[in-house]
Amino acid sequence: MKLKILPPTLRNKKRYIAFEAISATPLEKEDVISLVWESSLNFHGERETSKFNLWIMKIWYFGSSNDENIIKGIIQCNRNEIEAVRASLLLINKFKGKPVVFHTLGISGTIKAAIKKYIKLKDKHK
Amino acid sequence: MYFDFNVGENSHLANEASILGYKGIALIQSSKDFNGGKIEKLRKIEEDFLILSGVKIYAKNPEDMKKNIHKFRPKADVLIVNGGNIKINRAACEDPRVDILANTYKNRRGSGINHIIAKKAAENKVALEINLNQIIKTSSLFRTKILTNLREIIKLKHKFKFPLVTTSNASSIYDLRTPEDIITLLGFFGMTLQEANDSLSRYPLDILERNKIRRNTVQKGVRILK
Repeated sequence: MKLKILPPTLRNKKRYIAFEAISATPLEKEDVISLVWESSLNFHGERETSKFNLWIMKIWYFGSSNDENIIKGIIQCNRNEIEAVRASLLLINKFKGKPVVFHTLGISGTIKAAIKKYIKLKDKHK
Repeated sequence: MYFDFNVGENSHLANEASILGYKGIALIQSSKDFNGGKIEKLRKIEEDFLILSGVKIYAKNPEDMKKNIHKFRPKADVLIVNGGNIKINRAACEDPRVDILANTYKNRRGSGINHIIAKKAAENKVALEINLNQIIKTSSLFRTKILTNLREIIKLKHKFKFPLVTTSNASSIYDLRTPEDIITLLGFFGMTLQEANDSLSRYPLDILERNKIRRNTVQKGVRILK
C-alpha cells in the first residue's frame, strides 16, 4: 500500500541551489553526487549532513573549452541549511587528482524558476 | 563592491574574477623575484575593474623586512608581509606602511598573534589575512588546525577591532570562488555576515583610500591638497 502524502504544513521545506561546476575532467552525475556528499561529510560531519536532505536533481552539460568542462545543475536541500550546503560546495577542489570548482549561481523556491533564472538553458544551444 | 588582494600573476584570473563579481584584484609578486614591468602592462585603474600590483615580502628578520618595505612601498599598490616568525609579526603590525600581514600562524602552534600585536595592528591599521586557499586545499587535521587559528584571530578581532581581509591566494581559475560563497563560509568560523562582508569590501577599500593619501604625503603630518 502506498503511503498517503503528508499535508503541506508537515512536509520538509525545500530550496533549490543552482550551481556551476568547472572541471579539468568531464563530470558525470554520479561524480557530482559523490563530490558533494564527500565534501559535506568531511566539513560538517555525519550529524549535520543528516539535516540537509541533500538531493542532486539534474545536471546539464554546457560544453567545454580549452580543458575546462562546464556543467550546471540543481541541488535540493533543506530550507534552513542553505548556507551549510553552499559552504560545502565551495570546499570541493579536486576530482581524481584534477582541479574542479563549484560556484553557486543562485537559490530558488522552485525548479522551474531556478532553471529560468540561473541555469538559462537558452545559452546552452548558442 | 568586492576585492581580492592576493592573486597570482596570471592575466586570465582578472577576467574570471570580474565574471564572478569582483570589482578589483591585486596581482601579487614575491619580493624575491620582483619584476615591475610585468605587472605594469596589466595594471589598470578604471571605474569598472581594478587591476593593482602588489608585493609579498618574504623576510628573514625585522631588519630585512624594513629594508624591503622601504624598497617596495613606492612601487606597489598593495604591500603584504609574510608572517610566521613572531618578531616579524610584531614588526609588521607596528609599521603603518604595511597593508596586510599574511600567514601569521605559519609553522606555529598558535595563531601567531596576541593581544599586544592585535592592539598594534588596530592602531596602525595593518590588516590580517584570511587565506582561503589554505582552507580549501587542506583537509581533515590540517584544515582543523587552520580553522582553530582563524577562530583565535577572529576572537581577538572582536576585542581589538583590527581590519581583517579575506584573500583567495589563487594561482588558477580553480582557486577563485564567488564573494557570496566566501561570505557564507566565513559565517561558520565565528564571523558575523557583516564582518565577512567587510573583509571583502570595506577593508580593501580602506587600503586603497590610505594609498591615495600616502602618495600625497610629503612627510608625516604634511599632505599635498589638490
